[in-house]
Amino acid sequence: MSARPQRNVITNALAQIGEAGLFLLTLLAAVPRSLRYVRETVRQLWFVGAMSLTIITVCGLFVGMVLGLQLYYVLSIFGGTAASGTVVAIAIYRELGPVVTALLFAGRAGTSITAEIGLMRATDQLAAMEMMAVDPIAYVAVPRYLAGLIAMPLLCAVFCALGIYGGHLVGVTWLGIDNGTFWSNMTATVDVWKDVVNGILVKSLVFGAVVSLIAVYQGYTTPPTSEGVAYATTRTVVASSIAILALDFVLTAFLM
Amino acid sequence: MSQRNSYAVGTGLFIVLGFAALAYLATQTTSVANTHQGASYTVEAHFANIGQLKERAPVKIAGVRVGQVSSIVLDPKQEAADVKLSIDQAYSHIPDDSVATIFTSGLLGDQYVGIQYGSSKRDLADGGTLARTKPAQQLEEMLGKFFGAGGVADNLGGSYTVKARFGNVGALTVGAPVKMAGVAIGSVAAVHADPVKLDAEVELSIDKKYDQIPDDSAAAVFTSGLIGTQYVAIQPGGSPEFLKNGDEMVLTQSAMQLEDLIGKFLVNGSPAEKKDAPAGKQ
Amino acid sequence: MTAPAAPSEPLVRIRGLTTVLNGKTIFDALDLDIPRGRVTAIMGPSGTGKTTLLKHITGQMRGDAGQVLVDGQNVPELSREKLFALREKIGYLFQNSALLTDFDVFENIAFPLRQHTRLPEVLIRNIVLTKLQAVGLRGAAGLMPAELSGGMARRVALARAIVFDPMLILYDEPFVGLDPIALSQVLKLIRTLNETLGITSVLVAHELDAIKQVADLVYLIANGKVVAQGDPRTIADDGSPWTRQFFGGDIDGPVPFQYPAGDYAQALGLAGERA
Repeated sequence: MSARPQRNVITNALAQIGEAGLFLLTLLAAVPRSLRYVRETVRQLWFVGAMSLTIITVCGLFVGMVLGLQLYYVLSIFGGTAASGTVVAIAIYRELGPVVTALLFAGRAGTSITAEIGLMRATDQLAAMEMMAVDPIAYVAVPRYLAGLIAMPLLCAVFCALGIYGGHLVGVTWLGIDNGTFWSNMTATVDVWKDVVNGILVKSLVFGAVVSLIAVYQGYTTPPTSEGVAYATTRTVVASSIAILALDFVLTAFLM
Repeated sequence: MSQRNSYAVGTGLFIVLGFAALAYLATQTTSVANTHQGASYTVEAHFANIGQLKERAPVKIAGVRVGQVSSIVLDPKQEAADVKLSIDQAYSHIPDDSVATIFTSGLLGDQYVGIQYGSSKRDLADGGTLARTKPAQQLEEMLGKFFGAGGVADNLGGSYTVKARFGNVGALTVGAPVKMAGVAIGSVAAVHADPVKLDAEVELSIDKKYDQIPDDSAAAVFTSGLIGTQYVAIQPGGSPEFLKNGDEMVLTQSAMQLEDLIGKFLVNGSPAEKKDAPAGKQ
Repeated sequence: MTAPAAPSEPLVRIRGLTTVLNGKTIFDALDLDIPRGRVTAIMGPSGTGKTTLLKHITGQMRGDAGQVLVDGQNVPELSREKLFALREKIGYLFQNSALLTDFDVFENIAFPLRQHTRLPEVLIRNIVLTKLQAVGLRGAAGLMPAELSGGMARRVALARAIVFDPMLILYDEPFVGLDPIALSQVLKLIRTLNETLGITSVLVAHELDAIKQVADLVYLIANGKVVAQGDPRTIADDGSPWTRQFFGGDIDGPVPFQYPAGDYAQALGLAGERA
């Protein structure tokens, strides 16, 4: 195998994006047919959403705690520890909440969606559904996609709440920043539309749509071999991470 | 089927939890939490300078939130900001000679209006005016407080102005403190370039209390710490004559550049202040 | 549905089916009939597209030319709805069983019922248990697919394939990887289903001994065409080179030992010396 020229990597990436886009159209077209499988969507919401709560909770707490600690050290140089509530909240709402949640979601739920659909393909389960006159796009792909789309903002909200709690725990409870100052500075500065809605709802909805699409697409189009499934799972994480961070920049530029 | 129902219940819990978190964040950690719901009354206050005060900023008495700023408009006749304060009906017994001041919460915090009670027997009525106000303090003064040895002198006793010319004022801004022996005695009133002499002309507003500064004193632009703001230091001379309003100081020393300062840190080690030592090591 | 074909007509009638996949011709104007109510075996060397043929019958794949008539309907021209309606009448047994790993045995068999009917739970339960009893696995209803042996999984898949009492069952390699006991069980099930329910059966397999026990008719496919057909007990003696090689297990013959390749000497770089 000789190394392929650089140009092919780019062409391949473009082709993948194009195919994923077409796959999205297929998914969206199948949404009406998938409405009769609401139970399946609910079940997937359990797997990709509720089952991700542990990691989201723990990571949210630690991100908030480390933010509280770092801010305390930096802001105390300026005598500005009172602002730590504001900075914790804004950093978490605008960037850390949606981005870290999406990265964790890609690692926790995205990979399992890819691996599950890939294995269903490899073990002919998708073909078996076709043969039982059940459309696998509507029954398998769309519920997982919708579940990811719905779960992301909710997970992000939980992450943010735990992050704020972690920042408060370290800043106020352990390091002694005044409780009232912490909250009043936060409530005085944080804007419900610019920070909470843009961050938690808009950003994480977009991330959820993209990560779920990548996960479902990679699983659905994987070569039906164990090697193919492993490779597709890796690609889900890599492609999702790049997409999340690149889109984060674009979204920030548009929203702020 | 029971297996399916347990999924449904768990998923329902998850959705409820997510929305609860979202609702909590949106209402309790944002400015929505400050949106006033109860009955309130409005009073006016005129400030010469509102600094960074914004609408919906809190109004506090003794540090406790009692209301918020409902509007800020410029009154062009008086060259003053007309600020309307919406105060909770529960705090209706505010003396009408109370003082409204614009404070900053911490160094980096937002500004708010603080009300200090006066001694009058009459209460402030709805639509009334707080006649006595203190304008917002400039960030430069705040920084001066943090990094300088002393506070900025208040100008309530009146001040006089002297001029000084510098080849380079560095980052000196209006409002920066003027210090003698490390104690603030006034502030910089104006900084502008002289188009003819091609240097900077700085007007120093000095408290009347300090009216015995020798007229051959030197003025220098110093920096408080490595990252502090700059201020003007006056080193007294030996002349029997004192500086008067409108005089010009002849002996001046320009601002040192940041590069010079860093050079000093690197070569001489840390200065006296221990706080700056870590910065020096780097 | 369109009017079903007359009972004497073959259930599946393939005419002139031509399929080219990745530049390789799989079927070359293939003609093939599958009679109603019989067990038909399709045999052939590996890679001749036997499984592909089954996929053409179910509409999972479409040929480049030709007709695939199932019960009078031309499969390649069916709309998605009509194709799905047709598939409800066809059972398909996958080589690897393809049970849904999310569900236990009971739910796997109930799956098509739940998807296509609104039957009350009691009725679903009765149908599922009846089908499980037919394959002898009523006791395994609560097991997950991962807990089943290969033979058991295949019987569960068979129970799922017959849950709608189909008119046609397609078996893809039903005998692969089974021990002699499981093999006999599956053979008996295929025969029983065919005899008691009158289900037309098509099976793709290599095992001539097993096929002799169940099949009424054998097609031997090679090079995209039917090269021999007839009664399984006598087909090996029909005298064609294809059947002689295939059933005799000869290394070389019409099916070459060597995969088509360029000149061997040239590939080794010896062409010059030989000249």
